[in-house]
Parts: sequence; structure tokens; C-alpha cells
Amino acid sequence: MQIKKNLLIGIFIILCSTAYAQTGSLGGTIVDEAGKPLPGIAVKIKNSKLFTLSENNGNYIIGKVPVGKHTILFSGIGLKTLEKTISVQNGAQSTLDAKILTDAQQMETVQVYGRTKAEETNRQAFNVTAIDAKKLYNSTLDIASALDRVSGVRVRESGGVGSNFNLSLNGFSGNRIRYFIDGIPMDNFGSSFQINNIPVNLADRIEVYKGVVPMWLGSDALGGAINIVTAERAGSYLDASYAFGSFNTHRTVLNLGTTTKSGFTIQLNAFQNYSDNNYKVKVDAADINTGAYAVDAMVNRFHDTYHNETLIANVGVVNKSHADKLLLGVTLGQNYKEIQTAARMVAVYGGFHTRGNIIMPSLKYRKANLIKGLDLTLNANYNLGREKRIDTLNGRFDWYGNFKPIGTNGESSRSLYNYQNNNGLVTATANYAISERHSLALSNVLNLFNRKGYDELRPLNTADEAPKRTNKNILGLGYSYAIRDKFSATAFGKYIYQNIVTTNTGINQPPIEKIGYGTALTYFFNRNFQVKASYELANRMPEANDIFGDLVNQEGNPNLKPEQSDNFNLGFSYDFAINKIHRFGINANGIYRYANDFIYTRLNSNQSKYVPDNRDGVRTYGGDAEIRYSYKNWLNAGITTTYQYLQNMQKVEAGYTGVSPLYLDQMPNIPYLFGNADVSVTLKDLGKKGNSLNIGYNLLYVHEFYLYWPSLGQQKYNIPQQWAHDVNAVYSMANGRYNIGLEAKNITDAFLYDNFSLQKPSRAFYLNIRYFFNKNRN
Amino acid sequence: MKVHFTKAIAALALATTIVSCAKKSDDPVAENPGNYILTVTPVASTAVADYLLTASNLETGTISTAGNGVEQDGTYRYYVTHNNKFFSMLYGQGNPGAVTTYSIQGGKLTKLSNFQTETVQAFAPVNNDILLTKLPRTINATGSTVATWYQVNTNSLLISGTGTLDALAPGNNGEIAHFSWLQQVGTKVYAPFFSIKNSSFATSYPDEAWIAVYSYPGMQLEKTIKDNRTSFIGRYFTNGLGVVENGDTYAFSSSVARDETKFTSTKPSAITRIKSGATEFDLTYFFNFETALPGYYITNWIYLGANNFVAQVQPIAAKGAYTAGIELAIVNVVDKTIKKVTGLPADVKSITTNNYTPKDGKTAYYGVNLTSGIGYIYKVDAASATAKQGLKVEGGTITAVQHLD
Repeated sequence: MQIKKNLLIGIFIILCSTAYAQTGSLGGTIVDEAGKPLPGIAVKIKNSKLFTLSENNGNYIIGKVPVGKHTILFSGIGLKTLEKTISVQNGAQSTLDAKILTDAQQMETVQVYGRTKAEETNRQAFNVTAIDAKKLYNSTLDIASALDRVSGVRVRESGGVGSNFNLSLNGFSGNRIRYFIDGIPMDNFGSSFQINNIPVNLADRIEVYKGVVPMWLGSDALGGAINIVTAERAGSYLDASYAFGSFNTHRTVLNLGTTTKSGFTIQLNAFQNYSDNNYKVKVDAADINTGAYAVDAMVNRFHDTYHNETLIANVGVVNKSHADKLLLGVTLGQNYKEIQTAARMVAVYGGFHTRGNIIMPSLKYRKANLIKGLDLTLNANYNLGREKRIDTLNGRFDWYGNFKPIGTNGESSRSLYNYQNNNGLVTATANYAISERHSLALSNVLNLFNRKGYDELRPLNTADEAPKRTNKNILGLGYSYAIRDKFSATAFGKYIYQNIVTTNTGINQPPIEKIGYGTALTYFFNRNFQVKASYELANRMPEANDIFGDLVNQEGNPNLKPEQSDNFNLGFSYDFAINKIHRFGINANGIYRYANDFIYTRLNSNQSKYVPDNRDGVRTYGGDAEIRYSYKNWLNAGITTTYQYLQNMQKVEAGYTGVSPLYLDQMPNIPYLFGNADVSVTLKDLGKKGNSLNIGYNLLYVHEFYLYWPSLGQQKYNIPQQWAHDVNAVYSMANGRYNIGLEAKNITDAFLYDNFSLQKPSRAFYLNIRYFFNKNRN
Repeated sequence: MKVHFTKAIAALALATTIVSCAKKSDDPVAENPGNYILTVTPVASTAVADYLLTASNLETGTISTAGNGVEQDGTYRYYVTHNNKFFSMLYGQGNPGAVTTYSIQGGKLTKLSNFQTETVQAFAPVNNDILLTKLPRTINATGSTVATWYQVNTNSLLISGTGTLDALAPGNNGEIAHFSWLQQVGTKVYAPFFSIKNSSFATSYPDEAWIAVYSYPGMQLEKTIKDNRTSFIGRYFTNGLGVVENGDTYAFSSSVARDETKFTSTKPSAITRIKSGATEFDLTYFFNFETALPGYYITNWIYLGANNFVAQVQPIAAKGAYTAGIELAIVNVVDKTIKKVTGLPADVKSITTNNYTPKDGKTAYYGVNLTSGIGYIYKVDAASATAKQGLKVEGGTITAVQHLD
């Protein structure tokens, strides 16, 4: 502990002791022949290491330029390199605009220096991967399936469209991973708006933080975070897509918006998912009368329909003197979900279902340079939505859909429980740039939850129901030091407070207070080679669903303790090219974690529900690696692989004195070796200029793992090795305005399993049609 | 550049290897083929499965679950042996209960079949069947409140009959008759029960004992045998009856009837009798357990033969509705004698409630689990009232000791 503290102090001292020389700065706007702003243009001061990239509006700025005359180089993909000279004065900013012409000869090479926002994100000190969502717009992916292709990430779904999901990131899973949309925690969005039903088209990019999470996300994420960055398009745009396919699946996405010259903006996102999810599964199907099992029977799921409809509307102003962005919005949505099975596929349901809705007003405010260098962001929302659990049939279904009345207790537990989670959220972040290299960030996240419900079938059960309330506040302070494209470092501390109220008697658990801190460093040996290291003492607090359950297949555990862990990450990324036509990207990360009170999901003793529980200690080490290759501008391929070894370090079990037989055993029911590979080919100007065809293939592999503790027993239950092959083809016309996509998932019709050996969809085909239009006002 | 690159890879490689790669290195304990079946639950209370182990001898040797045993899907399981078959039953509230059946071939467990029943609260061998009953815990405001029964044929290994019982009829007091267990007596099924108002198992009738008598296989309620000298017979998931060689049935009461908050019976823990052929309690026989073994009451028993039972006993001060005693006593129901068993270790964590006896009147094999997490089979000798340490069981808590031919 002492070492860690000293290390942090040391970093602070090093960062703060940088000397200052006589310098000025340099800025301007870069445009193309037509006067349109050019983002991602490399601006380099000749004979120096000073370098930057232009922003989306074409602007750039380079600080700490030594006083004197300089030659500036402007370069970008497919553009002619431009050279200009300028002299820089002490303490002043010199303006140097540039117009860059297209270089027809260079057009066929893939991008070299110009980086998309997604690639820029990858260059932070944090261990972060950004998925450029725009590349996936013509697919039928939701956010969760897009994430499944990132190295180190494993999305575990309990079934088809709308099914429960659990994302694991470098061996951390469940609520250790937090979800954000534009930096706003999604904790309280309810079942109608989750990463498994948000279409990928809503996002501009998806940032995946593995391990240490930047302070401005200000959360108690322990294993990492997913931040969905929604598209902020200028001018007027319309993006509409519709997909249909196997299992009677229909998905529609409509994004439209406009921003007037005066700064008034209106944005509308609407999406819909519908699926019967009636895919084939292989089960031991019991005869409802004799109890005889038909071993390995192929049956269709018959009670798994899911649909949701969501509308997000935002109205406000942008680029005003008092606000860069001020949006008032509302998210309206509803969902319906049939529950086919309990936590294991032996218990089949035919009537049990849930409904939910979301009515969530929200406020978003952002202002940069409120006073010079101070950026302020404020978000607030409150979910007025209701959820309902409906289980009214007294009896049992079999896998063939036959029903037999039994008893008087419903299928799982008879109820018509109607409840409201009353959750609210307020986040505030202030960033202060002390100078170009030093900045401070302060953030606070307040999270409220108070579940209240009523069961009309069992009024006596719920009349004097115990309170289900939890409030959490996280205050964080961070400091960063960065030399652009050379070095950056961050150190931060967090104070977390949570209270949980679960009894009427007033005797509650004392409030939980936790301190966390960490640091993240990155160093660029050169433009193409970056090393990242980070450490955090991280806390993962119990979430509302961990404490109170989800009333379907997750049971609550009011005694769940917060998890605290030491997380270390070390990684590098390296890009290189051979003869300018073979381009390679390699990145690899190693992790080590030691978690106290490790939170994991197990089955309850009846094997019917999941329960979160603690292990005294769990140690994880592992790594992930990714290699990408592209040939000219038409072939792209990549392989990612992840290995993680989670070991039980609890030496003595509660109530016993001897060394546990499970000490040092590998944690069960967690995939530990998996990877994927993809190849895609783009044929440009096919058929007609401006049309293109993209054909892709994706392979997913998950190594066999055990359902229960690996060291015990000889004849064991396992989740077998899995190979899933997906192929897709997209034909785009008129430079992407019209698109038709075809997708085949799980083409070999392999048996794919997930959580506790739940089966995932069999072979499926989808057709996707998309129209995109963007009229840029500039 | 190249140098940097190599350095970084070296650093990464180092980082991933310095974390100790210590994996488990168990000294493997070999398989122990034989006709005894032991069921073992890992000491971790959670995320575990039961393992079925075999042993050739309960009096010596060691067995372990490390790399051995047949994994059972889940740990909330109950085991019963009948018709020379071993039944492993999953108790999953609200879930169907999967039942796996095994025989022993050449000292190894051989899976015969899987079939599905409901989760039940009482089951027992009757004729060639296993009779299972699923009992309600709440009284319906309107309509009937029923228990469901299933007859599983142990030859076909399928459900051969099913039906319902009026759960309020046996008590006839407005409360549910929750069977504590089932026992075949002659051609009838005796179902001793506790009377409950609701799912907290509270009753307004703490000072009565009942046995519902059903025909078999028709499952018609023929009579309820009542007694007001003790509280109810047996306990939740516990057989309170034993039939001796002359056909007399003995019954024990733990005196654990309760209201919402506390034990309410005024009667002592005691043993009573129903003479062979009679359908009333024998009012001439009453064996007060608490005076014969002062300070103790009985929580479970098994019948060894020759009128001898081995009872699990617990100090009255530690009384609980679902606890099982961690001390043993030899009870002779005809002589009305109780002798505490000596020779058990000091640091007992739990004693298995599903144990084996060859029914020779003398011997029983009990699973004894120590706080260290190690278990032993103890051979109990009724004549000397002693227990002797036998087979060592590593890697978990013994939950049942059974034998197949």
C-alpha cells in the first residue's frame, strides 16, 4: 500500500516539475478545394516533434511552439502535402489557414496519418478500444453484438433478441462493467433501453475501457466501462434502416435531426425490435405426464417473443454563448418479453412474461471555456417508467408447449407485480485546463433508486413489503498531464458513498464508504508505437438489481459486499506497413488483478435463479492480443484472442477451519479462452461509380469450460467448445446513400451456448435496407 | 524503433509471467470402486455440485472428490435407494425436479436413466414405487388447497400414477397437513404431518400429533390417527416413524411446533407407539425422551433392527426447527433405554442425516463432518454404544451414505 502511495506522489512530482521556455502557439483552419473543413489532417512543424491533427471543424492548434520562424507541413490521405512557413511570437497565437488539394495518385492507399475519432480514442493512456460504429451501420447489429468482436470482450447472452446479457471484459463481468451513453451512466434506464436493444446506428463510436476507467466517466466501474458516443451530425440528416429475417425478426431504426443556422437543434431517434426468437434448441425434453426424457430432442422455443419500441427526442440549442449544447429531451419506450426458461433450460415457461416502459425526461448541458480553460458538463435524468412481472398460470409447460395444471403457485411464482424503480441520476463534470499540458477534472455522480411495487394477486405479500432503496454518490478528482502524441499521464482519486435500506425496522446496514485511486500512463515511442500502463484500486458497489433482484431470473442478495481490487494493465500498440500496401496493426495487453470480495454470479440452491455472491479473493491474470492486416484499400483482416485465468484465492470457507479444497482452483462457469477472426473485402465502384460491395466473414471461438469447479469430479458438466461463423454482404449505392445488406449468422447451425449452458440462436438470415442522407450546412 | 519495440514486448512478456503461475497440485486419491455410495458436497456453500463417490469399505481408507466422482447438476439434492437402484433427486422449488438413477456395476456407478418429476417435500419407497408428495404452503382463499402425489415405478423408471389430495382434510382444523415424511406400514401409507397456517410454518395446534393413513395405490384418505400426548411427529424432511420386526410402529416427536416467532408446544420430546394392526396410538406406551436423556431431544433416527434405533440428539437449549443433532444415542424402544454414543470426535460440524445400516440390529455407518472440512465415516455399534472412525472423505461434506448390492 505504501509503495502505491509513493508511486503516485512520485508521478505527481515528475509531472509538475516541467520547465517552461519562451513559446507561442499556432492555429488555423484547414479546408479542401471546395472550402469544406478537413478533419484528421496531420499538422507537423518541420525539424521538431510538434505535431497535431485537425478537429472535425478543420481547426487545429499547436501550443508551446518555440519563438521563431517555422516550416509547417500539412498532410492527409489522398491529399497533396502542403508546406507553409510562419513566424511565432512569444505568448501569442499565430494564425495559419491552409487549403489542401486532392492527390489523385495517392487516393488508393488506405489512411495513414489521418485518424478517425475512434482511432484517436485508442491513443489515450487508458486501455481503451473504440469501435467505429459507422462501419457497422449496414448490419443488423445491436451494440452488444458489436462489442462481442472486441478483443478481451465476451458478451454472454441468455438467448436471442432482447435476451439478458452479461458482458465480460478481461475477466470482469456483470455490474463491474458500467455502461454510459455520451458519458451518462445508463444504470437507471430500465429494460426498454439497454445495450442489447440499442441499434448500432445510434452510435458514432463505442469506447471500451478495459480495467481503469477515466475519471470523467466518474463511476464505480471496476472492470471497465462501455461508453456509447452518439453521432453528432452537423446540418440535417436522415438515417433510416429496416431489417428483417429469421425467427420473424424485424428491426427498424430512424435517426433524423437538423440544426438551424441560429443554433436551434432537434434530434429524433426511434427504433424498434421484434422477434419471436423461436429458434431450435437441443434439449432433454420431458414428457409432462410420465417424466420420461426424450434425450437430445430438437424443439423450437415457443414462448420467447420480445419486442421494444423506443423514441428519444431532444430539443435545444448548440453553439450559443451560454452553452455549447443545451438539450432538453425525453426517452419514451416500452418492451414486452416472454420468459421461456428459468436460469437453466430444464424449467420451461409458457405464460410467464414481463412488460416495462420508460418515460425519462433528461437535461444535457455542456459549455467549454466557461471561464478560460474551464469546461462544464451537467446531465440529469429521472426514469418514471414502470415494470411488471406477470406469472398467472398455475402449472407446468413442457418443451412441446403442452400444459398441465399443478398447484396454485404460478409457473415460477404466481404474481402480477407492478413496480417502479424511481431512479434518478445527476452527473456534473468540470474540466480545467491549467495550461496546455496540465488539466484537472472534478466529477460527481449521484444515483437514486427506490423500488416500490404492488402485487394485485398477493396484496398481503406486498402491503408491508420491506423498503428497497439505495443511494450512491461518487466524487472524483483527477489530474492529467499530456504532451500530445508523446506522453500522457493521469492520476485520480474517488470517494464513494452508498446507503442501502432493506428493512422496515430501521436496522440497516451502515453506509458503505470507499476510497479508490489510480493512475494511467502512455508513451509514444513514435507515431506508430505506443505503450500504456495503468493501475487502479477499484471499488465495485452492489447495484440495485444485485441487492433487490430483477424479479425474473435474478435473485437479490441484500448482504452482497462491495468488491475491491488492485488492477494492473500493461499494453502496447504498434502499426507498420510494408511497401505501403501491406498494413499491420498489433496491440496486446496484459492484466493482473486481485479482487477482495469478488462478486460473481452463481445459481441459487434450487438451480432456478442467479444470485450474485462474494468470494473472499479471486486473482486474475491474462492477456489479449489483436493483429489487423489490410491490403491496399480493399482487404481487411484481423484476429483477436483473449486468455484469462481466474483463480479462487479464498483459502478457508465460512464455517470451516481447514484449507478449502477449492483453494487455487479456477473459477467455474466463466469462459477463459476465446477469440475471433474476421476478413472483409471491399470492391469499389462496382457496377457504377460510387457503388461498392463489401463482403465480410466473422468467426467466433470459445474454448470449452466447466459448469462447476474444475478440480472436482471425474464425470463433469461442461459447456462445449464453440465455433460460430457469420457472413455478410453489403451493397452501397450513390456513395452510401442507399444500402442493402445480407447477413447469415451461425451458418453451420452449430450449437452455441452461454450462461449456465443456455442455448443461443441457430442459423439465421437477415436482410437490411438503409437510407442515409446528410446535408451539411457548411 | 526496433529496439523500443523489442523492449516493450519483453516488458509485456515479463508482466504476464511474473504473476505466479501456481496452479493446484493435488495429490490425487485414487478411485475406490465398491458398492457403497457416498454423496459429497464441496465445503464452499455456493456454486457447487454434489459428487457421487464409491467405496468398497467404509471402515478404512480414503476417498476424495478431487478428480473423482460423478458430478450431479446442482447441490440441493436428495438421495434414496430402493429396488437396488440409487435415485439422485434435485430439489428445485418451482422447478421440475430432475431424477437420475444409477446402479452399481463392477463397483462403479452406472447411469440407468434420467426422468423428470416435480420438486417434492416427502418421498419414500412403497411397494415397487417411490411415492412423492408436493405440498402446498398457502391456503387458497377460494377453491381447494391441494397436495399433489406422484408414483414413480422403480422398474420402468417413469411416473406411473399421479393425483391430488385435499391438504386440509387430514387435520380438519383449517390448517394444511404438511407431511413430515411417508412410511409404508403393511399395505397402507402412513403420513405423519405438521399442521401449518402459512409458509412460515406457524400453527395454532402445537400440542397434537397426527398420522394420515392412505390406501395404496389409490391414495384415499382412510383415517387420521391422533394423539394429544406429544406435539407433531417427525420434522420437515424427516421420517419420524419406524416399523419394528413385530409390526409395531414407533413414532418420535421433537416438540418443535411453533408460531410466527417461537416454539409453542408444552409437550416433551417423546416416543409413542401404534401396535401392529391397530389404527390408534397405544395409550399404554409413552417414552419421555427428555427424562430418559436429561437436557436432550431427538432430531432424527434410523432403525437398525432388534428394536434398536440410532438417534441424532441435541441439547434442548440449542433447539431448532430444522437442525440435526451432532451427537448420537442408541435408543431401545422396547426397553425404553437411551445410551449416548461415545467415540465421536470433538470438532464435529455436522452429522449426515441420510445414513446406512445393514439392519443387523447392531451396526450403522454415519457420515461425520469436521470443522476442518474433512469428513469421516463412523461405524456405530449399538451394543457398546460406541462410534469408531473409518473411511476418510476429502474435498467436501458427506450428505448421504448408501449401499447397493
